[in-house]
Amino acid sequence: MDFSNLVPPMRADDIAADPNVADRRHGRLVAGRIFSLLLRHGYRGYSGVPCSWLKHFFALLEDQSLGSDVLYVPAVREDSAMAVAAGLHLAGIKSCVLMQNSGLGNALNVLTSLSLIYRIPAFLIISWRGGTGTDAVEHDVMGANLIALLDALGLRHHVLDLEKPESAVLSCLTDIDETGSPSALLVSREF
Amino acid sequence: MQPVDAIRAVLAQYPGAFIVSSCGFVSRDLYNADDRPESFYLVGSMGMALPVALGMAIARPTVDVVALDGDGAALMNLGAMAMVGAWKPRNLTHVVLDNGVHESTGGQKAVGVDFPAAARAAGYASASSVSRAELITRATLGPTFLRLEVDRRVGPPGRRVQHRPEHLVERVMSQLRERA
Repeated sequence: MDFSNLVPPMRADDIAADPNVADRRHGRLVAGRIFSLLLRHGYRGYSGVPCSWLKHFFALLEDQSLGSDVLYVPAVREDSAMAVAAGLHLAGIKSCVLMQNSGLGNALNVLTSLSLIYRIPAFLIISWRGGTGTDAVEHDVMGANLIALLDALGLRHHVLDLEKPESAVLSCLTDIDETGSPSALLVSREF
Repeated sequence: MQPVDAIRAVLAQYPGAFIVSSCGFVSRDLYNADDRPESFYLVGSMGMALPVALGMAIARPTVDVVALDGDGAALMNLGAMAMVGAWKPRNLTHVVLDNGVHESTGGQKAVGVDFPAAARAAGYASASSVSRAELITRATLGPTFLRLEVDRRVGPPGRRVQHRPEHLVERVMSQLRERA
């Protein structure tokens, strides 16, 4: 799928009206490159709960012009998002779940007693809030312990490099092929 | 109505349906009533039978999908009913076996709610409550909510699901591929 039509060209008027438009456009392009790669690898199913750091992904998912190639099922909680993705997977649709790392707490039981026990994979896109210690206070504990938590569960993970976003995505896809379990793309800063 | 009679009546009304069952005695009852390859038993993940069934129903709009829940599990994830109401899959039926207690863990009281009212508020196409197995019918257009008022079981539950979880995945995926 070509995402150029989803990223409108910048006009001088737009930039004058909103100095952040260039950043937003860049963010949407990065998200679009990741999304394109996932679609090329057959990922048609999407669910999740938003995070402001993942806004460009959700803007793409909410874009009506995607048509029926993409199934985006908004979720009330991250565990329900994982469960929807599992249902899609059982019907042969590769699926991706997006969440903030705080929501990983909500998803823990489904990860341990559904995904890992039944060996149902999912491509996870998780924002790593609180990783630098300068985020809002509610992210301090999960931010400091996210990697230890993922490691404790045996979930593989890769940090997104905004300069070459495809690299970590491909690593996650390789993990999923090798393990049959979820693998996490970690978004470690806002873009 | 005994839970197993309720399940047999559901199976009779939805032949060939893909059924995702809740953990605890619900999955065990379905397994012991009739171990069909279209059944996908959750052995953990309380509250997740409905969203798994929702994903399946969205992916395969031409097959019948049933979420077989208990009242405790449905209460744990009432939010998932809002997801069903938002998407409105016509092929999805949400059955709740309501005995008012967490029977699998010893019969502790469940919190309780007016399930059909909650389903209607969430946006299901229809919602009803039935207390006798012979009155269980299927609706033509979903998403449908069906509360089955069941009694405490007479006698012990059947044995646990003997299949490995990974086998259950292979089995139901294979069935779903055949129906493509």
